[in-house]
Amino acid sequence: MDFSFLQDDLTYLLWGTFPEGPPGGALLTLLLSAGSGLASALLGLAFGVLLVMLRGPALAALTTALGFLRAIPVLMLIFWTYFLLPILFGVDVPGVLSVMAALALVGGAYLGHGVAAGIRGVGAGQWQAGLALGFTRWGALRHLVLPQALRMMLPSFINQWVTLIKDSSLAYIVGVPELSFLATQVNARVMVHPAEIFLFIGAIYFVFCGGLDLLVYLLNRRPRRA
Amino acid sequence: MKKLTLLTLVFGLVGLVPLAHADRLADIKKAGVLRVAAFDANPPFGFVDAKSKKIVGLDVDYADALAKKLGVKLEIVPTNPANRIPLLSAGKVDLVFANFTITEERAKVVNFSIPYFASGTQFIAKKGTLTSPEQLSGLRIGVDKGTTNEIQLREQFPKATLVAYDDTPFAFTALRNGNVQAISQDGPKLIGLLANVPDRDKYEIPPFAISQDYIGVGAPKGETALTELVNTTLRELEADGRAQKIYDAWFGPTTKTPLKRIFKIGDKT
Repeated sequence: MDFSFLQDDLTYLLWGTFPEGPPGGALLTLLLSAGSGLASALLGLAFGVLLVMLRGPALAALTTALGFLRAIPVLMLIFWTYFLLPILFGVDVPGVLSVMAALALVGGAYLGHGVAAGIRGVGAGQWQAGLALGFTRWGALRHLVLPQALRMMLPSFINQWVTLIKDSSLAYIVGVPELSFLATQVNARVMVHPAEIFLFIGAIYFVFCGGLDLLVYLLNRRPRRA
Repeated sequence: MKKLTLLTLVFGLVGLVPLAHADRLADIKKAGVLRVAAFDANPPFGFVDAKSKKIVGLDVDYADALAKKLGVKLEIVPTNPANRIPLLSAGKVDLVFANFTITEERAKVVNFSIPYFASGTQFIAKKGTLTSPEQLSGLRIGVDKGTTNEIQLREQFPKATLVAYDDTPFAFTALRNGNVQAISQDGPKLIGLLANVPDRDKYEIPPFAISQDYIGVGAPKGETALTELVNTTLRELEADGRAQKIYDAWFGPTTKTPLKRIFKIGDKT
């Protein structure tokens, strides 16, 4: 094992040419994950609520759209948003944004079903209690059902966020200089230590995903102790 | 199509810039930026410099000369071989300077300039394993996705087993690990690759080529004014000696990859 490449390339792998250039490497991976994680949570929440509240053709349309998003590889979605949209419709999406949008859409579609299941899991009694107290259906959802449902759904959210961090590496396909893309560049120059370079990269992803897991665990424990 | 429309709708909400379909040359001058796709992992054509962490190389020098002539800023977009045509078609870059071999097939979807470099499909193998083209049929050969090398091998040696990789360094890693017995690329690119390998003594580039290729600048299909300007600039660079200077900087006798210059811009149009 020879990790001497770290001498020259550690900062490049961690934040690219930032601050002279745009953020890259692990920093960009974090930004990509945070952006798409937040967007996917909001989308997932909206999709989930709509899955429960919508009826008839609107529900069918949403279910089809979510089914489509869940059925195609994320890589395809990234590739399409980056290369196909400009050709077909003349809209130009920058690489980072196309990756973020693709990850958010797919993540949101997955989370939507989780959120819907969480809401349904709260139990009819809570809904009825809300309606009896004079809440509207939306009011009961907002004040009674969702607060309970979201707590139950936390593990699904964490699962999805961890998946997003790892999926952000798919950005390499459109040349977005996140961690694994820069690792490929460094590997191409160093040539002889692919095992060390990609082990190091793997360790960074492990720290990110493990860190997120730990953070949520700690945040979750505190209120119970108090 | 319906599903794509849904996607457009979603992205439409994010607020996006519609592409201009006017004359690209005018667009470049207006924007003040020339966007060029170049390799980031293929010395000495385009690679990330160890010190500056910027993409440099022969292709970048040519692109830089063109940007100077236009009086605009040069923006390099890293690419692998397979993304070169999609980047052009999708309007993500204005030109491709990435060891782009001119072929009839590609010329159907992109405009090519006059050639500024010539090379041929060659191989790297462990010393002594490959001496003549006839042996290729029995070998597992690593190629780069979306290259002319891959196409030529499929046509000329249909019995060879080809394994496609994203880029040449990956293919070389496969060769090093024994996944393939040879890898194929343009000769000068292989020389550049081998020059950067510490244990290069174990490998060799057998002295035969299975093709003669010309490298040109790729421009979006139908952008005649832009293509013409590239051609004029390339001829100027040859006439005033700058082309030779660029060549010598990367392939001259004092470089890591000394290679005699056998092709001058204008030799073939």
